[in-house]
Amino acid sequence: MDRREVLSERPVERGRGFMPGVSVIPSRVLFTAGLTGRNPDGTLVAGGMAPQARRTFERLGAILSHAGAKFDAVVKQLTYVTDIEAYNAGGRPERAKFLGGTRTASTGLVVRRLADPAMLIEVELVVDLPGAPSRAPLLEKYNAESHGGDFHQGVIVNGGRLVYLAGQVANAPDGSVAGVGDWRRQAEKVYENIGHLLQAAGATPATVVKETTWVLSIDAWRQHGPAVRRAFYANDFPASTLVEIPGLARPEFLVEIEVIAAVA
Amino acid sequence: MPFSTIATPLAKPVANYKMATRLEGGRLLYISGQVAWDASGNIVGKGDVGAQARQTFENLRGVLQAAGGDLPSLMKITTYITKIEDFPAVAQARGEVFQGELPASTLIVVKSLFHPDFLIEVEGVAAV
Repeated sequence: MDRREVLSERPVERGRGFMPGVSVIPSRVLFTAGLTGRNPDGTLVAGGMAPQARRTFERLGAILSHAGAKFDAVVKQLTYVTDIEAYNAGGRPERAKFLGGTRTASTGLVVRRLADPAMLIEVELVVDLPGAPSRAPLLEKYNAESHGGDFHQGVIVNGGRLVYLAGQVANAPDGSVAGVGDWRRQAEKVYENIGHLLQAAGATPATVVKETTWVLSIDAWRQHGPAVRRAFYANDFPASTLVEIPGLARPEFLVEIEVIAAVA
Repeated sequence: MPFSTIATPLAKPVANYKMATRLEGGRLLYISGQVAWDASGNIVGKGDVGAQARQTFENLRGVLQAAGGDLPSLMKITTYITKIEDFPAVAQARGEVFQGELPASTLIVVKSLFHPDFLIEVEGVAAV
């Protein structure tokens, strides 16, 4: 634990539930997938932003609870919304009910689309868990509720060293872009690059903790990406988030994937 | 340095940034997405992405220093912009602030940030 908060006196941060930074001595760190307002049967809760936000935080609460933690252990929150006015009116008050007085490091983004076009909010957390690491197993991957997706809702790093990869795109070592206009080829090249970097760091696809996939089209990604992804992870998936955005660093790039991994 | 830099000739960056970093000890610092606010909470450089980028990176530096680190403590940054046309100005400002190689880095163009006047937001993970 040993949480330290970087406080700010700026009026914009005071009273809004976040702060510039939070540092911890990482011992057991939980990364959640991006959670949304889905019901247990996979449908979205009805009623728009406020019910979706409430359901999102309820599900995050269950993931925290499974790991023996509460919202006061959250270090970092990343909130993706598709409509900022709706979030300010209906989402922010729900967040406050769950986070209470806890101030986290926080980033908020307005994106083009989430997994389901009707989704208005998705939230992922980094959490500093109580307790000493046992160091074995290195990772604890779990779901707080059953779902049909190729991901885990929570992954605990149990005393390992964290590895942060730059966002990977379909660039070859000579600087050229592999698979211009070709989703499948870009997916293959991105995972090839991730594989090389994990190996150089002493990690493997099985020790990837969290994955964020940024795509220009979720519909196109779903036709070509998941098969490549499943083969890469050999069905041993990290916590993950999939987001549609309008652009990446070069117009040729269709997908960018960043991962956090762990090594013993 | 409480982190190491991972590199391989098999996967090279498209610009001057690290491809991966590994925490080796010390404290793990998560930094909120920084925007071009000044100390009073006013937006610096409304409509001027270069000015916003400089203020944003200065704010990032301020958080790092308050946590006992500085820019070289950064393991990873993520830069969010709202228009790809703004990237050259952001890259120039970033190059002026960072001496030498950048941390591991991701660049994403989002639909917008949490206030319509913000043109850039940068978050980071550091070892301090």
